[in-house]
Amino acid sequence: MEFIVEKIGMSRTVGVPSVPVTLLKIVPAKVCEIKDENEKRALVAYAHGKKINKPIEGMQKKYGLSKEFNRFAELKVANSEAGDLDVTPLNEAKKVKITFKSKGRGFAGVMKRHGFAGGPGGHGSRFHRAPGSIGNCEWPGRVMPGRKMPGHYGNKNITVNAEVLEFDPDMGVLVIKGSVPGSNGSLGKVRIVK
Amino acid sequence: MRNRLIEAFEAKQLEGKNIPEFRPGDTVRVAVKIKEGNKERIQNFEGVVIAIKGTGAGKTFTVRKIGANNIGVERIFPLYSESIAGIEVVRKGKVRRAKLYYLRGKTGKKARIKERRD
Repeated sequence: MEFIVEKIGMSRTVGVPSVPVTLLKIVPAKVCEIKDENEKRALVAYAHGKKINKPIEGMQKKYGLSKEFNRFAELKVANSEAGDLDVTPLNEAKKVKITFKSKGRGFAGVMKRHGFAGGPGGHGSRFHRAPGSIGNCEWPGRVMPGRKMPGHYGNKNITVNAEVLEFDPDMGVLVIKGSVPGSNGSLGKVRIVK
Repeated sequence: MRNRLIEAFEAKQLEGKNIPEFRPGDTVRVAVKIKEGNKERIQNFEGVVIAIKGTGAGKTFTVRKIGANNIGVERIFPLYSESIAGIEVVRKGKVRRAKLYYLRGKTGKKARIKERRD
């Protein structure tokens, strides 16, 4: 089963040992149409922002949705027919896979992007954050493919395995052990593994 | 302002916790649960609260005492941790700072704190 979630932020538990937790809010969603009966894939609508245009209005009319449901996704669901998304499978969930878009770092150097060590800051050193040598000599006369270099870093989907500590069905809050990629307030996907 | 869902999550955990009110400058006796093998006992740590930091479930306080051989000992406790069996305010102190890090450089008579009466 899959769910759209919003990352709320992090907290901790007070037990011994104290565990860092991330809180995810299950975004209320409506199942519009079951696309595949066997795999239970369905078209799901949810609300995010105020974006509206003619195609979205058309979809809302087709499935009888209210005005705020302006985003659509295809998810694996527990429902057998259209209606509110069934969140009961989360009560028994223990392990989940969480996909979020990581924080964008823009064009990042090799130290931030690949964890290169860099050079000393002072003492007459002229080698600070540069990548250094990127290859051999006249032979082979080219840079080997896969060479780690500066470039765009972040802002791409990252999936992590996580453990579920708790699920509060009234508030729709999922408590995950540890951290999750992406910034607070961003939307991601949770898939139940076990 | 903190997120209300995070606050609700933390409030649920802190429910029923009875922690006495104290400020920096107060002398407190903290009963710490210590696990040795499978036996558990309680050890007291008494000293001056020199800092209170953080919010919500992650709130901590720093206690400083002068240990054996005049060596200063500081311990940082999570305020709501389950490893703390109890906190007792021994003496209220009158100070004009929120963080009493200046006590680290002072010893003996110079490190005294006036008593607060209110």
